[in-house]
Amino acid sequence: MTDYRDIAVLDSGAELMFESGEQSHYATIDQYELGEADLRPYICLIIGGSCDQEFLTKHRDIVRSFLDEGKIVIFGGHLFRPWLPGGSDFIPREIRSHADYHITIVQEEPFFAGVNPLELTYRKGVAGFFARGHHPLPEGAIPLLTLPDGEPTLYIDRSTTGGTLLVSSGATLLGFDRFEDSTRPITGRLLRWIREEYARLQRSTSENEREEVRG
Amino acid sequence: MRRIAALYAGISHQNRSWNVPKYRKFISEIVYIPEMTETSLQDFDVVLVPSRLHAGLLQKIKPWIHAFAERGGIVVVFWPLAGDVVPEQRWEHRPTNFWWWLDKNAKSGLVLDRPEHPMFRYLTLEDCTWHQHGVFYPNPDTAEKLVSIENDGAIFYIDKPASGGTWIVMSLDPEYHFGSYFMPATERFLDGFFPYIAEGTV
Repeated sequence: MTDYRDIAVLDSGAELMFESGEQSHYATIDQYELGEADLRPYICLIIGGSCDQEFLTKHRDIVRSFLDEGKIVIFGGHLFRPWLPGGSDFIPREIRSHADYHITIVQEEPFFAGVNPLELTYRKGVAGFFARGHHPLPEGAIPLLTLPDGEPTLYIDRSTTGGTLLVSSGATLLGFDRFEDSTRPITGRLLRWIREEYARLQRSTSENEREEVRG
Repeated sequence: MRRIAALYAGISHQNRSWNVPKYRKFISEIVYIPEMTETSLQDFDVVLVPSRLHAGLLQKIKPWIHAFAERGGIVVVFWPLAGDVVPEQRWEHRPTNFWWWLDKNAKSGLVLDRPEHPMFRYLTLEDCTWHQHGVFYPNPDTAEKLVSIENDGAIFYIDKPASGGTWIVMSLDPEYHFGSYFMPATERFLDGFFPYIAEGTV
């Protein structure tokens, strides 16, 4: 498999075998070393729901500056502290039946063309795998997936910072390549999107800099 | 009521499990692990050690947890955790049985070793049944197994080792699942387990 060492996963450090597998193609940074880490080699930082949000709040400037360099941050989990630019606290969905977990694809590109939304919602007939609540949309953000009342469970935010945020109220999208159903292509598409998005961001950053020089 | 310290590493599922009012009322203090010192546990009777902790953090506080037990404290350990945590730890990995309950006529394979134990005034076997992360083989001279996999190791035991204190150890992760809004049995478990550790006979 291709090497993705320009993508850094913030490692929660639990060192549990069943969780570490999916990180192996990427660079990893121990979450408590974020303050000292050299982030220059990375175009994207991936932060999962098992990270320390008190610590991230203390180091929120690092996440913000990384984005303002025209880079990408992907978060998947439940926010409850104000460290992620544009992020609001997770709101759980009140569950009356499994239909309350049903995911709707409101935007197929760039990840979900041909994906059966039921295969996002269910694994082996059990509902709720993708998301069990949402984060309110920041201004200008684009929802990709929603719960039954339109609550966004995945959004792209290109407005809040100089970079791009992809925010999920479930997992980070990195794990789908282990499945044998219509969701399988999602992870590969995500990895290609990261590179394309980074190239786009860097082009617009350098255009802005030329503007400033001319201005 | 015993004074309970709930350890916390800034993770969303811990934040929910420890702060939801029906459990928060049993907790004297939520202790943020990265800021702990060796005196952080001195005012408590019980310490709750959540599952899935950062391995380095866990190693840093391990001597303080052991010292707490040696002074007579009650240590509750949820699982999975990395490395050696409990006294005389003998743990074996088992593939996590996430899906056993989807099979027709399925049994979880769990049995109560001591149905007369005071804990089962607060909890039933069903409340302890979702999936487990491996099995323990505790020291039979000092430990009581409460829930086991039939013909296999324990998933829940209480040990009073010679080194002191009481260790309530389980290969269960209710605080992870409840806090992640997933797996209703884990809420029933915590509903019974909090009053048990607050006031029950350990």
